Amino acid sequence: MTATHTRPAPGTAGSPVVPGARRRPRVREAMPYLLLAPAVLALITLLGWPAVNVVVTSFRKLDLGELTRGEFTWIGFGNYAQILSNPEFWTVTVRTVVFTACIVAATVVGALLLALLMKHVPAVPRVVLQVSLLLAWAVPQLAATTVFQWIFDQQYGILNKTLVLLGFDSFAGNSWFASGTSTLAVVGILIVWQAVPFVAMTLYAALLGVPNDLYESAGIDGAGGWQTFTSITWPHLKPVLMIVTFLSILWDFKVFSQVWAMREGGPDGGSTTLPVMQYLEGIAGKHFGVAAAVSVLMVLVLVVVCAQYLRLLLRSQEVEL
Amino acid sequence: MRTRRIGLSVLAVAIALVFAFPTYWMFASSLKPRGEALSASYDLVPTSVTLQNYATALLGSGFLRYLGNSLLVTLTAVACSLVAGTLAALAMSRFRFRGRKGFLMLALIAQMVPFEALMVPMFLFMRDLGLLNKLPSLILVYWITTLPFTIWSLRGFIDGIPMDLEEAAMVDGCGRAGAFRRVTLPLLGPGLVATSVFAFITAWNEFLYALIFMRSEDLQTLPVFLKTFQNAFGTDWGATMASATLFTLPVLVFFLAVQRKMVSGVTAGAVKG
Repeated sequence: MTATHTRPAPGTAGSPVVPGARRRPRVREAMPYLLLAPAVLALITLLGWPAVNVVVTSFRKLDLGELTRGEFTWIGFGNYAQILSNPEFWTVTVRTVVFTACIVAATVVGALLLALLMKHVPAVPRVVLQVSLLLAWAVPQLAATTVFQWIFDQQYGILNKTLVLLGFDSFAGNSWFASGTSTLAVVGILIVWQAVPFVAMTLYAALLGVPNDLYESAGIDGAGGWQTFTSITWPHLKPVLMIVTFLSILWDFKVFSQVWAMREGGPDGGSTTLPVMQYLEGIAGKHFGVAAAVSVLMVLVLVVVCAQYLRLLLRSQEVEL
Repeated sequence: MRTRRIGLSVLAVAIALVFAFPTYWMFASSLKPRGEALSASYDLVPTSVTLQNYATALLGSGFLRYLGNSLLVTLTAVACSLVAGTLAALAMSRFRFRGRKGFLMLALIAQMVPFEALMVPMFLFMRDLGLLNKLPSLILVYWITTLPFTIWSLRGFIDGIPMDLEEAAMVDGCGRAGAFRRVTLPLLGPGLVATSVFAFITAWNEFLYALIFMRSEDLQTLPVFLKTFQNAFGTDWGATMASATLFTLPVLVFFLAVQRKMVSGVTAGAVKG
């Protein structure tokens, strides 16, 4: 801070300003827009343009042929008609929604229980728990996926070995990736394992924010544990819980890396979710128009699922900005 | 009451062990000699320790080239994000102007965009620019994925620095830019570090766009390399776990340094503003 006092004399710093004094208000008005320019340009070209483009592309017939010839063939709702009449799309959509619902519920409930546990244990076990949560959170998704593949490995995986050791001999050589459902279950455990820490920490922070005297007066009034929870903890926790649930839905619905890296949507497409379907149609299959329509539908499903939260969120932003 | 506390403590430690296990297992497996990992025996703790897997991962597979690609792409994108993000955050925090609310909403919505849904237009866009299979394509995408969070996070940090300090410097003869550079920027240091670490982790982990843009093998980044590594090495789980550990280490170090700020940063950026 002392640096501010060793400025050159005001005259020297101020002198270039004098000739432009009349211009100054204008410069000041333009200033915020100049500061915003790089960010706005980047957001518009790299995000806005693709976002508009995905909608436009979804109305085009755009396979590899059209792309290389540079043809624009508009087919209106053709891509949508094709997808919506494809029973596989519905299977995948239902699977994605159910998968998301399961991992979001598991994440939020698990995290809530962990947050309550953290509040009720002494410092040492709490720190041990928090450090191990951080470890799970910090491992990059792809590294985590690889580790889970190794843990669930059919022949040498530690899980099967442990189950056999515990006397469940039928698990010797059991393949966890033989069906789409069990593959998704493994992916789900992986995602929940990495998602719980953030949610648990957030909820724990919210729990610490509940004023202590509320609990004291509840104790004086003779409230039991459950009563205290429903009348004091829950009302304080609910807004934060809504936010983390909303964020979890946003994050989990579009998961691609772990699903693809685990078994590439297999076996036989059994663990294919909407983002994986998009990749298979668009990038691998070069049916760009169809894949774009899948993207648009995917976002629509997401918006429908989250509409209520989105409204609440935007309304609270109006007030806060 | 006492037994209940002990019971809960035991439960907490047990859960901690379960949560830490996969990370431990990655590390433990990376230290095991090849024969031990692929044997029928049951060893939770490696009976003999070797660095052979790390040698295999580092030397036999081009790991260093992918590490170089990852570092180049990630650091450049983070630098771009920080520059554009600081300028934008400054505008939002220090000026009141028409369109300010609109921009805040734009940044908020940008943060919720499911980038996975943009893979087709992004792919076509990079193709039209002739950037497929070139590292700048990834830099651009990682810039835009990290920028909205960077703006929100830095805006929060700048809001926390009293405007009076800048004004005092301006009274002392600094221009607006000078006051910012000499007063606010040094105070913003911790905020810049925390924000850039978060951006670093996001870009460092990214898998989808690296997978679809980089068709040629030597231009891959580490996440895609990890995925293809198993195919290249068959069932060499020891070497796979060694490379996963190496990939995790920088994240772990950074993460532990700034994790406290991350909870508040993520929630603030994503929801509270």
